[in-house]
Amino acid sequence: MNSPTARPLATEPDSPDRASDDAAPPRQPRRPLAAPPIAALVQRKPGDEAPKTAMPDVKADVRHVNFFYGKFQALHDISVPLYDRRVTAFIGPSGCGKSTLLRILNRIYELYPGQTATGEVILDGENILMPGLDLNRLRAKIGMVFQKPTPFPMAIYDNIAFGIRLYEKVSKSELDDRVESALRRAALWDEVKDKLRDSGLSLSGGQQQRLCIARAIAIEPEVLLLDEPASALDPISTQRIEELIAELKADYCIAMVTHNMQQAARSSDYTAFLYLGELVEFDETETIFTHPRVRRTEDYITGRFG
Amino acid sequence: MPAEHIIKSYDEELARLNKMVVEMGGLAESQLAAAIDAVVRRDSALAARVVEGDAAVDQIERDLDNLAIRLFALRQPMARDLREIFVALKIASDLERICDYAANVAKRSIALSQAPPVQLVHALPRMAQFALLLVKDVIDAYVEHDADKALEVWKRDEELDEMYSSLFREFLTYMMEDPRNIGTCTHLLFMAKNIERIGDHATNIAENLFYLVHGTPLTQARPKGDKSSLEVVAPDRAQSR
Repeated sequence: MNSPTARPLATEPDSPDRASDDAAPPRQPRRPLAAPPIAALVQRKPGDEAPKTAMPDVKADVRHVNFFYGKFQALHDISVPLYDRRVTAFIGPSGCGKSTLLRILNRIYELYPGQTATGEVILDGENILMPGLDLNRLRAKIGMVFQKPTPFPMAIYDNIAFGIRLYEKVSKSELDDRVESALRRAALWDEVKDKLRDSGLSLSGGQQQRLCIARAIAIEPEVLLLDEPASALDPISTQRIEELIAELKADYCIAMVTHNMQQAARSSDYTAFLYLGELVEFDETETIFTHPRVRRTEDYITGRFG
Repeated sequence: MPAEHIIKSYDEELARLNKMVVEMGGLAESQLAAAIDAVVRRDSALAARVVEGDAAVDQIERDLDNLAIRLFALRQPMARDLREIFVALKIASDLERICDYAANVAKRSIALSQAPPVQLVHALPRMAQFALLLVKDVIDAYVEHDADKALEVWKRDEELDEMYSSLFREFLTYMMEDPRNIGTCTHLLFMAKNIERIGDHATNIAENLFYLVHGTPLTQARPKGDKSSLEVVAPDRAQSR
């Protein structure tokens, strides 16, 4: 997959320019071609985490982004930071552009003709909207989970192994470890460890969604996009997903679209409110849900939207 | 008031909550006014009615607590709605205390009416009328959700504190002049203290109303006029009289 001529998506963590412009504490390099540092991540001591009070790094910076479905402009000059190791929730009524924004971040929209984005999304210092970018590499860095669970029609094990095999060459035992590790991280291992050869479709909805999350994190992305990850699930499964999000944010930059305001309030650190393709307000979640600055935000979250 | 909720019954419940707070406020006013009347007119029957009337206020507060809990659980209020309910709870407990103090003033007025009338009782109603005005104005501010008006009340409490300090000195002087005044003056001191506390609750309400409207707490330090807690009477000065 990764031919030597493939253009690197981002500067490697140890390259000089990154070292110079990033004064944050050294982190695990996340996207090595060799075995990923899952074990290292799992073993990381709690004290190693960035302190919550410190201002987080901006992982992906959306700058003046416009988006068009043909002639229709769905997003207007959106600028919003996505902080590393934080959860950013996007809320707003249907059609406000929040899912569109998520689709820009991994350039899924390019699969459809007539859809164009302008502006910049700076991921680790590089504009990912730039033409000629290696999309496979981009999507390995930015994992996505959709509203409806979308397991591949294959064994649970292969659902996870598929992406790893696609991007990396690993031994059988290493692959086993990676699959187990991803399933453990997605809090699914104990439920499926005895039936790894069963079809992913045989699982319950909540389990399928966790399988999709496991699949997304198995290839060690750096950003996780969750498009209403729990809206089709029962309350218990929803809470499992929320708990999982809380755990995963120790390692990932997470962007989540949700229609459930309580879920945004519970699960996110930052919240962005979009309306008619415009960013109305972006702030810490606590502020948005206790005293938002903009009247339209308040009307929306208190259920007064006309 | 902001636009209506999509769910109408939510609006109705919030309106009911609002109405209960205003109702408690109205009772706080009338209880305090009646207590002052009872003092001035030496009307023990009226004072007794004030003492009995306190139970009605307590009942509204209990109903209001129940409604607020219900709203929290069933509506999961956010932002302004959340502040509205939270502040209603806090204001209700301040109003309940104001009514307690009013009842206490009434109760002591019964004791005062047993003793022969004394001139010095007259200093008290003036202070009480001022406190009544603060309560009335802060309730008006709540009805209109007017944070500026609330802020005015908040500032005016200083004057009430000063009145209390000067009454405190006055009563001490009377007691030193003639030990026979001690019984009456002790009651009057407690009544004055109750009224001073009513002013503090009015400022609490003002602060909570400010938070309700603006979403941020009123952080300025409140001006303090009551220095009576620092007053001492030197024994030699007392003896020399």
